[in-house]
Amino acid sequence: MNDPLVIGDRELRSRLITGTGKYPSPEAMRDAVIASGCELVTVAVGRIDLDTVEEAITDYLPEQVALLPNTAGSATPEEAVRIARLARSGGLPDWIKLEVIPDPRWLLPDPLGTLQAAEQLVDEGFTVLPYVFPDPVLQKQLEAVGCAAVMPLASPIGSGRGLELRHAIEIMIEQAEVPVVVDAGLGAPSQAAEAMELGADAVLVNTAIARADDPAAMAEAFRLAVEAGRAARHAGLIQERETAEASSPAGGLAARS
Amino acid sequence: MTVTVNGREQAAKPGETVESLLDRLGLAARYALVERNGEPVERGRYAEVALEDGDALVVARPVAGG
Repeated sequence: MNDPLVIGDRELRSRLITGTGKYPSPEAMRDAVIASGCELVTVAVGRIDLDTVEEAITDYLPEQVALLPNTAGSATPEEAVRIARLARSGGLPDWIKLEVIPDPRWLLPDPLGTLQAAEQLVDEGFTVLPYVFPDPVLQKQLEAVGCAAVMPLASPIGSGRGLELRHAIEIMIEQAEVPVVVDAGLGAPSQAAEAMELGADAVLVNTAIARADDPAAMAEAFRLAVEAGRAARHAGLIQERETAEASSPAGGLAARS
Repeated sequence: MTVTVNGREQAAKPGETVESLLDRLGLAARYALVERNGEPVERGRYAEVALEDGDALVVARPVAGG
C-alpha cells in the first residue's frame, strides 16, 4: 500500500503529479503544489519574451519537487525531440513528458509521431513518459522501445469529464509492464480516486486544481482522493451486482412465511 | 557583428560568449536554455561558446505548463 511508485530510476511516495499551468498566480501555484504533496511537477519550455521580465516558475517551486519538462507546443516528433534536447542541455532533468499534438481543438496526441519521438529520445538516454490516447496496442509498442511510463488521457485536456475512456485504460492497466499514469481530463477528486481504484499507478492533474476557486484546497482534496483510491484498490473492491444483496438479516420480526 | 535572438537582430561583439550575451540582454543565464543555429548548447559551455556573425539563437526557459 505504501510501496513507492517507481518510474525510471526514481521512487516517488506521492502518486499525484501536478501541472504548473493555468494558475491565477505563481504564489497560488506554489501553495497548491505544496498542498498536493506531489514530488513531481510538469513544466513547459517556452521562448523568452525579450521585452518583458517574466517571473521564473522554478523560483516558486519547493526544492524537493522534481521537474518533469514537457514537449508542449510540438506538432511533430521532430519538434518534440528538439525541445527535449534543449531542456536537457540547459540543465533541466533528462525526464521528458512527451507530447506530440498536431490538433489544437481536441489536443489529441499523434500516436505514430509519439512512438517515433519516444524511440529517438530513449536512444538518447532520456527517461520518456509519453502522453497518449488510451490505446493498449500503442502502450505495448511504447514499452517495447523503452518508455519509463505511459500516460493515457482520461478525456480531452482541460475538459474535466473524467474517465470517458475507462475501458481502454482498464486494459492498459491490466497488461502494463511500466507504470500507467492517467493524465488529462480528470476534473474532480472523485475521478482521480476512480482512476486509482481501477489500478492506475498515478494521476496527473493540472486544470482541475489550477482553475478551482481555491487551488490549494483542491490540491489537498486531490491528494486525499488519490490516497483513498489507492487504498481502496489494495483493500479489494467488491464485484458489482445486478440486484440487491441485503446488508441486514432479511427477516426482521415479521413472519412472512 | 550581428546575431539574432528569438528572431530579433542584436549587435554582438566579436568573440562574445553566450553567457555574456545573455547577461547583456538581461536574460538570467541560470534559467536560460539556449539553442544556437538549431543545436542545443550545453549549460556548462555558455561561458566558452563564442558567437559568430549571423548566428541564430533561440533562448527559452521553463514556463508554467501541464
